[in-house]
Amino acid sequence: MDEAPLVEFKDLVVSYGAVQALSGVSGAFPSGPTGLLGPNGAGKTTLLKALLGFLAPDRGMISAFGLDPTKRPLDVRRRIGYMPEVDCHLPGMTAAAFVAFAVELSGLPRDEAISRAHEVLYYVGLGEARYRTVDTYSTGMKQRVKLAQALVHDPDLLLLDEPTNGLDPAGRDEMLALIRDISERRQMSLILCSHLLRDVEHVCESVIVFNQGRVAASGRIADLTGPRRAVYDVRVKGDPTAFLTDLKDHGCEWREGEDGYRVIMSDGFGPELIFRTARESGVQVRYLRPGAETLEDVFLRALGEEVTS
Amino acid sequence: MPIYEQTYRRHEARGALRRVRFWPITREALRLILARRAFLALLVLAWLPFVARVIQVYVVTRFPEANRILPVDGRLFGDFLVQQTVFSMFVTIFGGAGLIANDLRTGAILVYLSRPLTRRDYVIGKLGVLLALNLSVTLLPGVLLYLIALALAPDQFWTWSLAWVGPAVVLYSLVVSLVMSLIALAVSSLSRSARVAGLSFFGLVFGLEVVRNILRALYHRPETALISFQASLQSLAVALFGLTNRAFTLPWTLPAAMLAAVAVGCLLVLRARVRAVEIVQ
Repeated sequence: MDEAPLVEFKDLVVSYGAVQALSGVSGAFPSGPTGLLGPNGAGKTTLLKALLGFLAPDRGMISAFGLDPTKRPLDVRRRIGYMPEVDCHLPGMTAAAFVAFAVELSGLPRDEAISRAHEVLYYVGLGEARYRTVDTYSTGMKQRVKLAQALVHDPDLLLLDEPTNGLDPAGRDEMLALIRDISERRQMSLILCSHLLRDVEHVCESVIVFNQGRVAASGRIADLTGPRRAVYDVRVKGDPTAFLTDLKDHGCEWREGEDGYRVIMSDGFGPELIFRTARESGVQVRYLRPGAETLEDVFLRALGEEVTS
Repeated sequence: MPIYEQTYRRHEARGALRRVRFWPITREALRLILARRAFLALLVLAWLPFVARVIQVYVVTRFPEANRILPVDGRLFGDFLVQQTVFSMFVTIFGGAGLIANDLRTGAILVYLSRPLTRRDYVIGKLGVLLALNLSVTLLPGVLLYLIALALAPDQFWTWSLAWVGPAVVLYSLVVSLVMSLIALAVSSLSRSARVAGLSFFGLVFGLEVVRNILRALYHRPETALISFQASLQSLAVALFGLTNRAFTLPWTLPAAMLAAVAVGCLLVLRARVRAVEIVQ
């Protein structure tokens, strides 16, 4: 694969009116699959929109394939396939007509558009349903048709904005398998934009993490996250001060949740440490449930920020 | 079928960008609109006055004495096109209300604008739909009627002073179609609901006409016509076709300037509203 980055951005500032969505971010997306990770409102979609030339930067530069999207948006867009986060379809159109129409808008002739539309709809698993109007599709099918319209003109770079939104676990796995196939077998470069670490991990090896309009981290996911640690959601009865201090002394981290505490265990320890510390601190454990490390847990820890309140 | 068994073919050819990029937008929207039977019925209804006028022209050319009662001159074409303006409005409401509103509601605007298309291409594509529909009930029957009149009475061409009517029919039809289309598109871009956009267009066009009638009743001045799109178009028709209606008799420059200002206003609205990103300040 080409080593030169497909997309580069430097000191990029983008605002929506008075609100600064991207505050001087810099980075690059190489060829192949790369994750764009961050909580909602971190600026991920804004970066994609700046890349498509929808938003002009207030400052800094952004380029795709060596082209400036603000100056040559059409040349950039014809090489990009965009799967938006929001629903997008044309009312009253069948999936086959919709996808063929999308190809035609990308500049392919009608005959070629129709043949490619059918091919891609089979590829994304909508072959049997391609003559149904998109309005009647389930959420999962709508996600697939969105992927089909982004893929159908064979772009050099695929921008996938929250592609698993609204999908059940099985649908999510199928969608991720499809995206992985596009990347691995079809050798298509893609940017997978998500707030779910698991989705990004499934497809990408490297990631750029956004938080509050800034690049919080970038690099290989394994390097950034380090080994995973056990997490427990705990509720206790009694004064928790000594309990929490003792946990911290044992190398655990904690933060307050909505109704208790989220305790991230130090390496090699399990729930028995929580029970023992509680007994020693004179508090009762009223609730304990294993949890999963969230995006926030992993990256706050990876970035060395203070997790404890 | 597992995805790994499914096919997908790379498309390597990438030619130059199309020069005419709006055409697929116009074609697909027209196809969807014309697939509605109710709309086709409306189009058929819009052509009934044309049939009546053809009969009128035929009778007058066969029985010249009828020319004194129903003269075939500029006024016939002017009256016909003013009548067609009402159909033009209904065609615009039914065909145009959802053109942009639906795209905003369903997110389809992103499908268009993430492609190698400019916002101008998008607007021209949508405008093309409404122009085609409007011209099919104004220009097409107007020109056909003119040609039929010429064919039935070529010797009376100069007598009836029909020579200038042809360009007037074309000009008036274009103005009506363009103004209606731009207003409908601008209104459609201001809402995410085709129904709300349709009602807004109806309210704007017919509501202003009601206001004009009230002002006209109070002040008895023809300038009140400038308040309403419909009346402004009628004033233009009076000037172009030599119609005699004191309520609309104005120097042609006044309604023309008013309609031009409306068109510019609509373009400004479209420029502000047709975006891939909605910016809420």
